[in-house]
Amino acid sequence: MKISYNWLKDYCKHDLSVEDLSEKLTNAGLVVDTINPVDDDFCLEVEVTSNRPDCLGFIGIAREVATIVRSELIIPGVDYETTTENVNDLTGVTIEDNELCPRYTARIIKDVKIAPSPEWLQKKINSIGLRPVNNIVDITNYVLMESGQPLHAFDFDKLSEKRIIVRKAKKDEAMEAIDGSKCTLTDEMLVIADAQRPVAIAGIMGGRDTEVSDRTKNILLESAFFDPRNVRRTSRKLSLISDSSYRFERRVDPECVDWASRRAAKMIMEIAGGQVVEGVIDQNYIEGKNVSVALRMSRMNSLLGLHIDKETARDILENLQFTIKPEGETEGNLTVEVPSFRGDVYREVDLIEEVARIHGYDKIPAESNIGVKLTQDNIFDKVTEKTKSVISGLGFDEVITDSIVDEQHERHGTIWSEMSSLKIINPIRQDENFLRKALVHNLLRVKKHNQNYGVEKTNIYELSKIYLPQEDDEMPEEKECLCILGEEGFLSLKGVIEAILSQLNIVQKLETMRFDFGLFNPEESAELKLGGKLLGYIGELSREVINDYDFRTRPCVAELDYNILIDNTNIESSYRKIPSLPMVARDLAVVSDEAVTWAGIKECIESLNIDYVYGIEFFDVYRGKQVEKGKKSIAFRLIFRAEDRTLKSEEVDKLQEEIVENLSNTFGIKLRA
Amino acid sequence: MQERLSEIQNQAKEDLAKAESLEEVEKIKIKYLGRKAGVINEIVKAIPSLPPEQRSTMGKSANKLKQEIGTWIEEAKVKFADEGRTSESKEIFDLSLPGKRKHYGHRHPIVQTIDEIKGIFKKLCFDIEYGPEVEHEYYNFDALNIPADHPSREDFDTFYLGNKRLLRSQTSTVQIRVMEKKKPPIRMIAPGKVFRPDTVDARHASMFHQIEGLMVDEGVSFSDLKYVLTLFAQSYFGQDIKMRFRPSFFPFTEPSAEIDISCSICKGKGCSVCSHSGWVEVLGAGMVDPNVFETVGYDAEKYTGFAFGLGVERLTMLKYGIDNIRLFFENDLRFLSQF
Repeated sequence: MKISYNWLKDYCKHDLSVEDLSEKLTNAGLVVDTINPVDDDFCLEVEVTSNRPDCLGFIGIAREVATIVRSELIIPGVDYETTTENVNDLTGVTIEDNELCPRYTARIIKDVKIAPSPEWLQKKINSIGLRPVNNIVDITNYVLMESGQPLHAFDFDKLSEKRIIVRKAKKDEAMEAIDGSKCTLTDEMLVIADAQRPVAIAGIMGGRDTEVSDRTKNILLESAFFDPRNVRRTSRKLSLISDSSYRFERRVDPECVDWASRRAAKMIMEIAGGQVVEGVIDQNYIEGKNVSVALRMSRMNSLLGLHIDKETARDILENLQFTIKPEGETEGNLTVEVPSFRGDVYREVDLIEEVARIHGYDKIPAESNIGVKLTQDNIFDKVTEKTKSVISGLGFDEVITDSIVDEQHERHGTIWSEMSSLKIINPIRQDENFLRKALVHNLLRVKKHNQNYGVEKTNIYELSKIYLPQEDDEMPEEKECLCILGEEGFLSLKGVIEAILSQLNIVQKLETMRFDFGLFNPEESAELKLGGKLLGYIGELSREVINDYDFRTRPCVAELDYNILIDNTNIESSYRKIPSLPMVARDLAVVSDEAVTWAGIKECIESLNIDYVYGIEFFDVYRGKQVEKGKKSIAFRLIFRAEDRTLKSEEVDKLQEEIVENLSNTFGIKLRA
Repeated sequence: MQERLSEIQNQAKEDLAKAESLEEVEKIKIKYLGRKAGVINEIVKAIPSLPPEQRSTMGKSANKLKQEIGTWIEEAKVKFADEGRTSESKEIFDLSLPGKRKHYGHRHPIVQTIDEIKGIFKKLCFDIEYGPEVEHEYYNFDALNIPADHPSREDFDTFYLGNKRLLRSQTSTVQIRVMEKKKPPIRMIAPGKVFRPDTVDARHASMFHQIEGLMVDEGVSFSDLKYVLTLFAQSYFGQDIKMRFRPSFFPFTEPSAEIDISCSICKGKGCSVCSHSGWVEVLGAGMVDPNVFETVGYDAEKYTGFAFGLGVERLTMLKYGIDNIRLFFENDLRFLSQF
């Protein structure tokens, strides 16, 4: 809400500079965002939180200032002379829905002279960034800003049958608003109508047909209380927001409705020369129940952690125009009646906040005697710390990418779910409205971005959630995934995964199953399994994807189900004795058919269950001149050792022979000469 | 011939033991392993003349010995390694050459901030909790005392997914999930992603990170809130920062506060980062609203508590002077590798 520094002084005398005023308001919870000089005045932009509609008018803010500086709140007078004619003889108000309109007042002012406002009024209107229109409109705006109560002036002579009906709109009923927007109404919306048609959308905007014009002579002045929720819904549906709707949807003070009407009537009479018709039509269905709340000093002080005495609390609350009821007062308690403009206060804790914020949060000591307590282990964090230190150590940079993606984004397919992605109903951009079902595509995009800026190699990873839809619009499965993009080839990337498994003490075997998936080169891609469960996939990008993204390198990607890693992690590990006796190493090279795999060779050797075989280490695969066409040579090292003695060369020879023979029988491979 | 090999083995060992310079080692290498007249090569050349059944064994043995002697020679060379450089050549090792660097991966700055803050709160005995990103409306709003159709919902503008599902717009959801599961005392923080349909600009992203905090016990007061958050701010921003607690409004706390720290850029004098106020807002906090306790079935007379929330991107931007939030999610390696 914009307020003028000078104008505010009409309601509260103080000698604070604009900076001091701003600071004091801010410290009481009304943050002053900006201070802009306007001629000999300042315009302050005050941030009013949604619980404080009472501060959406100068008087409300002045009330705070008066409390803070302990000066008096000045409320303008609203007495005036009237004609002898009575308003009830001229018009009538019918309320068809008194839940949506619990209070409606109408006054008639006759024989006004429409003209520009006097200079002082124009200046005030200007000082808070409004545009002067004519004396009547400016006065209703002035009183709106002063009191927070929106008003509307109808051209009385244009109202059909000169009466008001507050009713729900008929379906598809139409009205053109003052700002020119043509509104098609629904039967949920509340309108102010005359005998024939809607003349205003209740609480939001008046209609063009009945607005005050240069030729207007007689005015019907409306001041009302409309149901906040209905105003809000209607305003959203019509995309029509006004200073009025802003206040009605936050709830206006039901007791200020008539005061504001009288204030405006008086000003119209004084400025536009009209005559106010005697009386008011006031349809009031609001039950005047005053909320009384007990405030225990002990509770207040224990919740705040300081000592405020009863007199200080009383003083603060009374300045804020709460009423302390003597009959409810005891040594440690106050009974407090809440004024009608403070709908946000209805519990003890709300009163405690009032006292605390005026007393000053800075006076509450930052002290505590909270003791120590053992925190719980968080397995996710523990595993993550280890995992990330491995990946970082191996040279991969961590990225964080957006969970919301466009429809084309996952065009190369995802393996985690076949169902169509979760869709956002109200996206910011129409095309970015899906929740990702994989991380890989986001990493490809990061690579693309970096390539565009001249970074050729992007070794990156992300640990984040993907969102897998479930049947019947149930909550999705949020799968925590670890996705790694590497530029050093399939086996390097597989090595990264193996390093992670090893650091996490995972004993289950990592299995690679060949699989066909559009994202990848079918020769070098695999489904990964750990302990029989699907861990994820790894592969070199297919030619098609490389071309699609226009990559200049050929990266490999792996995406892993992180919970499978967590489930198999052994945080507690035990020490494995370092062998004290020397080992015997034998390097072998065998020639085999292409179909023979390293995993097969390793398994075959392991299946012999030879106690002395301590390790089987792969070296390399060779194809070329010295190897028969269509075959490959696999080189590896066998490590032998015994727990209790040094193995003799002859013993090892024998074991080696046994192994080679078995490999030969199983796979038909030969020792390379 | 096997004896001949053992002889050679012993002789080579002896020769190397006697060697006193790199030059001598080189000579020994030629003597035994030389391609033309090396002792081992002589043996190998002789193999074809052996009876066929001996050839393979001899070949292997000779090869093994060759490897063995090769290893000894390399070991011997190490002993005289300094020599070559200082006495025999004019080479001067350039100590100023750049080190051979391996790329060490960087953790994302947002993750680093979260980790640092987790570390601070762990020292204050707070547990770490996590919650789902796709939430039921109940956890994002209703249970947090944010009524349907209330203007305060607008402050937490939200992406909807249908069937009362949404992308959480605040990590406060985790408060409710934790209190539903556990009884007091509770001390926890919950970091995570949140989503809001803000128009993306230098200060707003539709996805960002928050950390929620909650402490509930008998007798927890606003004073405790100030204490814990002061320790946090001093630990994160430095001992000499000034703090300002000012009243604010959140539906799930009462009284509520926003916490500003003195602007680290201009030291409180006023600059564009702090909109010339000298203060920057870093935390929202307050005493847990009794309605929230009621919702999760806590006795609001017996227990009190405080909650707080902070924006991770904002703190990271303040700490490093980063002026555009989009940098975090573009993942330009030239940016990421600075952290």
